[in-house]
Amino acid sequence: MRSLFRYKDIIYYRTLAGLKSEARKNYLGYVWFLLEPLMSTGVLYFAMSHLTGQKGASALMTILLGMITWQWLEGSVMLSAGSIAAKFHVHQQVPLPKYLFPLVDIGANTIRFAFAFVIVLAACFSAGFQPGPTLLWLPVLLGLQLALIIGLSLIVSIGVTLVSDLHLLLQSLFRLLFFVSGIFFTAERVPAHLLPYFYANPMAVLIESYRAVILGGRAPDFPQLGTVAATAGALLLTGSLIQAYFDKRLLKLTNV
Amino acid sequence: MSDALIKLEDAGVYYRGGRPKGSAAREAPWALRGLSLEIRRGEKLGIVGRNGCGKSTLLRLLAGIIAADEGVVRYAHNRMHVQLLALGVGFEGHLSGAENAILSGLFMGKSRRHMESRLNEILDFSELGEAFHAPVNTYSSGMNARLGFSIALQTDPDVFLIDEVLGVGDHAFQIKSQAAIREKFRADKTVVLISHDARTIAQVCNRAVWMNRGDILADGSPEDVCDRYENSRRFL
Repeated sequence: MRSLFRYKDIIYYRTLAGLKSEARKNYLGYVWFLLEPLMSTGVLYFAMSHLTGQKGASALMTILLGMITWQWLEGSVMLSAGSIAAKFHVHQQVPLPKYLFPLVDIGANTIRFAFAFVIVLAACFSAGFQPGPTLLWLPVLLGLQLALIIGLSLIVSIGVTLVSDLHLLLQSLFRLLFFVSGIFFTAERVPAHLLPYFYANPMAVLIESYRAVILGGRAPDFPQLGTVAATAGALLLTGSLIQAYFDKRLLKLTNV
Repeated sequence: MSDALIKLEDAGVYYRGGRPKGSAAREAPWALRGLSLEIRRGEKLGIVGRNGCGKSTLLRLLAGIIAADEGVVRYAHNRMHVQLLALGVGFEGHLSGAENAILSGLFMGKSRRHMESRLNEILDFSELGEAFHAPVNTYSSGMNARLGFSIALQTDPDVFLIDEVLGVGDHAFQIKSQAAIREKFRADKTVVLISHDARTIAQVCNRAVWMNRGDILADGSPEDVCDRYENSRRFL
């Protein structure tokens, strides 16, 4: 933790630099982060409304919330997976902790997400959903998801640097998770005997919770969130241990 | 011991990337083995040796980029800043020379304030003029090297590690950058220079070490060590 404080400047300025660099590179940089979930939401909404007959703003926002929060997770973790290897020439020259690089990518992706999320929230409220006191849960949910993202990223960023095949495995894994995380359907559609498995996935719990507090005006399920917090904590701890173990060993094990 | 900035005791490093498949990790070739070395304050240490003798591994070990697999590396204090002279560390092509100077300085362990206070020196030394505020992906490779060198010069580490590069850029800038490096050698700085060219080391260093196969063969005055190194080459 002390080392994190020491390097906070690097994380902060690298994140800003990354965003600035991106903004100069492509005009649609920030817009893409909203545009992509909007397009996939459009397709999914079209398909689901014909399959289930559920139409209207509620069905649309349900999918959009799932898409955008999912993309925050998938985008960040996939970016982090390659972030240590991408800066290998830097590691060969300066003794920086490797975890800085996934954190910088997560930072940049989180700012893009925040930008898109605010717009989606505004869209929800202008579509007739009433902002209520349950919105106070949002910081908790966002914090839990961020912890989940960081924990996963710390692990995969080292894993992918050591064994690059993991990158492909990770892609397939995320595609699989996409279909079972309740992005384009709600928990009500899941058969009762499968629900425990469905809720074992922290992302499914988080997506349901976002919908509950934003669209439903309900508090999220507390024990389920507790499990998510425990998972996130375990991932963070594992990730920190892995980073600490490999930090000064990585360059001796691989040359990418 | 009081003036030793870095002390290696029986240090060993091996790389696992290069070992044949199926062999045990410990059978990997050792890049350094049983190496003991003291680097004292204000010393100009030259390290000679042929390719693959472990010079670069030694620099990485001193810089804290890799850890020793055997033995220990002791620093005189915890916050010791040991820096490899590296050009253009972590440059972002779409950002300006000035912005990159700050980012690169942060990577090399300096604070934003330190780098901001040195921006004028960097601009002056690199002779970039207006281009200093243009994106670095519009630079020629010579301009890039000049900027990189000027930034590295302003990082002021406790121990400067230099790997062969004594001059960069076109002829005029080469003379200037060599002069700047020699300035470091004259001043009260601690410098470690590695080279396979014994003459350079005999010229600028006040102590030399000859490395072979990950260990030290000779340690002493540059003239003496470099003579022995040159003689050994003659017989090969």
